[in-house]
Amino acid sequence: MVRSRFRNFSIGSTMLWIIIFVVVPYIFVVLFSFLERDPVTTVAWRFTLAGYGEILSPVFLKVCWYSLLLALGTTVISLLVAYPFAFFLVRLPEAYRRILLLLMIIPFWTSSLIRTYALVILFKANGIINTFLLWTGVIDEPLNLLYTQTAVFVGLVYTLLPFMVLPLYTSIHKLDWRLIDAARDLGATSRHIFFRIILPLTMPGIVAGSTMVFLPALGLFYIPDFLGGARSMLIGNFIKNQFLTTGNWPVGSAASVFLTLIMCLFLYVYFLSSRKAHTGGMGDMA
Amino acid sequence: MKRAARFIYLTCIYLFLYVPIFVLIAYSFNDTKYSTNWQGFTWKWYEQLFTDSPLKEALVNSLVIALLSSVTATLLGTLGAFAFYRYRFLGRKVMYSFIYIVMMSPDIVMGISLLMFFITIGLATGPLTLLLAHITFCLPFVVVTVYSRISGFDRNIIDVAKDLGASELQMFRHIMMPMLMPAIIAGWLLSFTLSLDDVVVSFFTTGPTFEILPLKIYSMVRLGIKPEINALSAVMFLLSLVTVTVAHLVTKENR
Amino acid sequence: MRRLLVVLVLVLLPVLAFGAKQEVYVFNWTEYIDPGVIKQFEQETGIKVRYSTYDSNEAMFAKLKLVKKAGYDVAFPSTYYVERMRKLNLIQPLDKAKIPNMKHINPSLLNKPYDPGNAYSIPYMWGSSAIGVNSKYVDPKGITSWNDLWNPKYKGKVLLMDDVREVFAMSLRSMGYSGNTTDSAQIRKAYEKLLKLRPNVKVFNSDSPRQPFLNNEVVIGQIWGGEVYQANQENRDIKLIYPKEGAIFWADNMVIPGSARNVGLAYKFIDFLCRPEVAKKNCEYIGYATTNLKAQQMLDARTKNHKAVYPDDAEMKRGEFQSDVGEAIMTYEKYWEMLKTQ
Repeated sequence: MVRSRFRNFSIGSTMLWIIIFVVVPYIFVVLFSFLERDPVTTVAWRFTLAGYGEILSPVFLKVCWYSLLLALGTTVISLLVAYPFAFFLVRLPEAYRRILLLLMIIPFWTSSLIRTYALVILFKANGIINTFLLWTGVIDEPLNLLYTQTAVFVGLVYTLLPFMVLPLYTSIHKLDWRLIDAARDLGATSRHIFFRIILPLTMPGIVAGSTMVFLPALGLFYIPDFLGGARSMLIGNFIKNQFLTTGNWPVGSAASVFLTLIMCLFLYVYFLSSRKAHTGGMGDMA
Repeated sequence: MKRAARFIYLTCIYLFLYVPIFVLIAYSFNDTKYSTNWQGFTWKWYEQLFTDSPLKEALVNSLVIALLSSVTATLLGTLGAFAFYRYRFLGRKVMYSFIYIVMMSPDIVMGISLLMFFITIGLATGPLTLLLAHITFCLPFVVVTVYSRISGFDRNIIDVAKDLGASELQMFRHIMMPMLMPAIIAGWLLSFTLSLDDVVVSFFTTGPTFEILPLKIYSMVRLGIKPEINALSAVMFLLSLVTVTVAHLVTKENR
Repeated sequence: MRRLLVVLVLVLLPVLAFGAKQEVYVFNWTEYIDPGVIKQFEQETGIKVRYSTYDSNEAMFAKLKLVKKAGYDVAFPSTYYVERMRKLNLIQPLDKAKIPNMKHINPSLLNKPYDPGNAYSIPYMWGSSAIGVNSKYVDPKGITSWNDLWNPKYKGKVLLMDDVREVFAMSLRSMGYSGNTTDSAQIRKAYEKLLKLRPNVKVFNSDSPRQPFLNNEVVIGQIWGGEVYQANQENRDIKLIYPKEGAIFWADNMVIPGSARNVGLAYKFIDFLCRPEVAKKNCEYIGYATTNLKAQQMLDARTKNHKAVYPDDAEMKRGEFQSDVGEAIMTYEKYWEMLKTQ
């Protein structure tokens, strides 16, 4: 075991930060989930499981199910769009690559809220897309684009795509192309090369990217609000309502704890499967 | 043929990313206070933005917070990713899971939990608490990005460096850092972007004295966007474009 | 890297430096004051206005509840939140002697059940929510009641507010109950009736309901009176109809939180906002109805006679102001969640 001041510093700084600003505040959340709601002081210091009782209601489970489907759909679409994209990007000459990578980021320096609003301008009944299609005579009646499921998916993918592209790019970039050349020399088909070499080697990037898309997708409540017409409630909305509208902190905390547990489960299953596949990356941690 | 397909694909993606922004810029010239329907051309939103706008102060605050938090989170996160890779220590796995929990927890939970924490230790909400909160939610993104690159490294590199007499710090500075640079930059960019865009955590962790742009925009967008915001976005977009171009040219000359 | 940090610190210092000037901390709804008014106040008094915004009563309430000391000096809760905050001692009683301009406030908006004798609050802006229609697609003469929203021919064309109290008040009143009921059987009935409205609902929006109307996404639905006035500046087809069951009225009120830093400055600011010329400026900027009678008389004829903005006395009598429902909000919220997840 290596001991050095640098070792202690590098471990200590991160550990300390996480303990102070993540673990301790999170203990508060867990604590609150077992307390009783009080209309005056927010919570009363009495132990109860009522918060958890309430989140097992059909309403909350429905909210969960819908949110998970939405986030999963967004992740799959983003992955399918971003993987070839990152792949093409890596194969380009360095000069182009740098420019294109930056062009990927630049839109995200203008507020995602405003850009979501720009999508509304495009999608609305008398918006740019419908006006154009009516003008060309492709359609006679405005298409129903805004306040639909499709609009929500487009909005989510639009907002989260770079979070998929960047990790994918990083992991594809460090691919050892000699392996692929070698495989080709040995007569492997393109399909074989992709599924046996490229995919497993870029798995850490896929996992990182999917995590970065999936998890925010659960919480980005303003996109379904703006583009989906707020007709369905997501986990983010539910928790937000508990804290802000009803002031029911125990239920909000319980829902957060529940959500976190489900996520841990998802990740654990993933770690197991990736370790089995010997793909390295984050599987190493488990 | 293949090249053409690739070109078309890349173009489509960039169109998807940029068309909304061009729409945004076009509508910053829209002569209407209240809606998104086109009413005629005007420069007045730009005049208003530059002469007198509460948006300016919020923008400066946001940029300062985004810069400070992304730099700090990148330094901490790179160190952290390295520590997770290099060393075996007590609580390593637990800590790494917590990195994921931070990314997982909905913004609102993080905002509320941090606020409860700040109140308990008697820290008044303001620029400092906002900064601490932003560093906290950026940190895991840096760790994960850097770790996903570092984990593919050949461990022999470390052994060779050690055999040649490098200290841990030297090895980190002169071997790991350069090799990790693309991931570090990616992590920093992610952090900067996240921080500049965050609404929910900021709402709870900033105080009455410190207003930042996303919060201002969030409430404005919901009440019907004003072209003044479009004008601001257009200016920010152009500025980032110029910055990137200049940075690109400068680094090119340096080679 | 080190040089970069030095630069950053230099950039940050002026931002963090605190001025020695007197400052008043104002917490208000977004886009709810004319920026020129703030400037005028600063020039006249030499007091710096620190202005922050919120977008819902809930958010404002949550924040005020958490800030125990050195918080905001002036806030603007709606009627039923005044009541709630009063009950929780979050706001302090007002010394009317320090607000001489209060005499200009419309007496018909004072002394309401949510704050008897206006001990804690002074109305700032007010308005109604009623039925909005796009007369290009819907004949306004055919619409008289909240029940018209349930008409199957408006399938996928109706807008509802994204606000539990507004939506339930509408449904409750359509059945002849009070919109402020705390009776859980009535709330359940309102929910069951709303379930039948669900197929008609295209969008929930309470922040800016005029937008879906202007975008032709919806042709009928709930809308704020002031939003109709704003929409009319572009599209005259959007009309407001007061339903025969009565509209729902709201008012936003100036209060001084218990955690105020500087009560004296708060009074100065509130009194300034009660000045007729100032109120007129704000009213013209925001588009909602001013509570200031003198200011209302100073407005141009088109604005002060716009029925969507200033309902007549008969409408006022028929309608109802929102008041706090106490713990019954939990029942409302439970049915609201069920409605949204359908």
